[in-house]
Amino acid sequence: MSWNFETEQFLIRLPVSDQDGAALFHLLSQSSAAHIPRLPMTVEAQALDELRRIAMRFETREAAFWLIERKSDGEVVARIGVQYINWMMLNAQLQWELSAECGLEELQEVLPVIVNYLSDDLHLHRLEMRLRTGSDDQSKLLTALGFSHEGTLPSQMEFEGEDIDLDVYSLLKGELNI
Amino acid sequence: MKFTPELEIPGGCIKPLHYDDIEGLFELYKHPEIPGQRPLQDKEQLNRMIDYSVQMAATQRGMMWAIETEGQIKGMVSGFDWQPSNLRIVMRVDGLPQLTVEERTASLKAAISFLSTKYHVRNFAYQWIEGQSDDIKAALSECGFTLAARLRDGWRTGNTEFSDVEQYHWISSENKPVPRKLGDDDDLGQNLNANKRGES
Repeated sequence: MSWNFETEQFLIRLPVSDQDGAALFHLLSQSSAAHIPRLPMTVEAQALDELRRIAMRFETREAAFWLIERKSDGEVVARIGVQYINWMMLNAQLQWELSAECGLEELQEVLPVIVNYLSDDLHLHRLEMRLRTGSDDQSKLLTALGFSHEGTLPSQMEFEGEDIDLDVYSLLKGELNI
Repeated sequence: MKFTPELEIPGGCIKPLHYDDIEGLFELYKHPEIPGQRPLQDKEQLNRMIDYSVQMAATQRGMMWAIETEGQIKGMVSGFDWQPSNLRIVMRVDGLPQLTVEERTASLKAAISFLSTKYHVRNFAYQWIEGQSDDIKAALSECGFTLAARLRDGWRTGNTEFSDVEQYHWISSENKPVPRKLGDDDDLGQNLNANKRGES
């Protein structure tokens, strides 16, 4: 069972722990992941730690994260993953960090491959994404892709002295809009 | 060591799970309220659950009480998916058909009050699954919970069948605890029997 895929313009591949540190650091040091309440990375060692962590989480089938690499220049334009996979309930939380070069058009090319794999091969029925309330750009992308807004979970965590509410979006099998 | 207290409610109490109550708990698990959950067949599994209930409370992962009124075990009230650093927890009440809305409400309030006071938990969630009794929603409303989200097909009831989950929340208006120097004001690992030196 291969977890690496390809589209016309992109490679969708699991990260390689000792090779992708710089690319992941470049992506996660940007502030474009403000929809996830966490600080941007400040040193490359954090990316190496993150790669090791996600490798361990993948081995326990708790999570899987893919790097989206543009074929033309080898640039990593996004990371898309699933975590908190509940194999009994057949659901999981989707998470993405997108560079400025990954918008709706790019997502419409890569997301069907990932979603179809999760649905057809892993038999997941429900994908959920939680966004920090007020993440309008991300919210528009999700809606355009067919996700439904289900509500807002209050005070899910504290970040920089503020209580963070999370908007919940979900996509059921067959709902992806491409 | 004792982490789960016995708390009074009108007509009875909520109390820690005990091996003496296995018959009552087995009756409860023979009548599951959650859609898709099968009645328990093996009473022996409850011994393990009682062990877990102590371990969960000791490690702040959850807390379980039996609801006893009129001398009978009529249900359980539990907190699970406890995230102490985020001051939040998910609550759940399981009841026999004879558990009244008032008893359900009182049990939930007693458990929430304890967790809020002793552990400073502020954010209480409750997941009502489509197909469950509306009595649960009445109890939630009485406790001040409000609907936050409806999770489509959030609960699997069969091989290919799913039910929606309504997620309710109640947020305490108490101030958050102020962090102090570690060790200055430890709460004795929350062991209710411990003295000031942490000895049981």
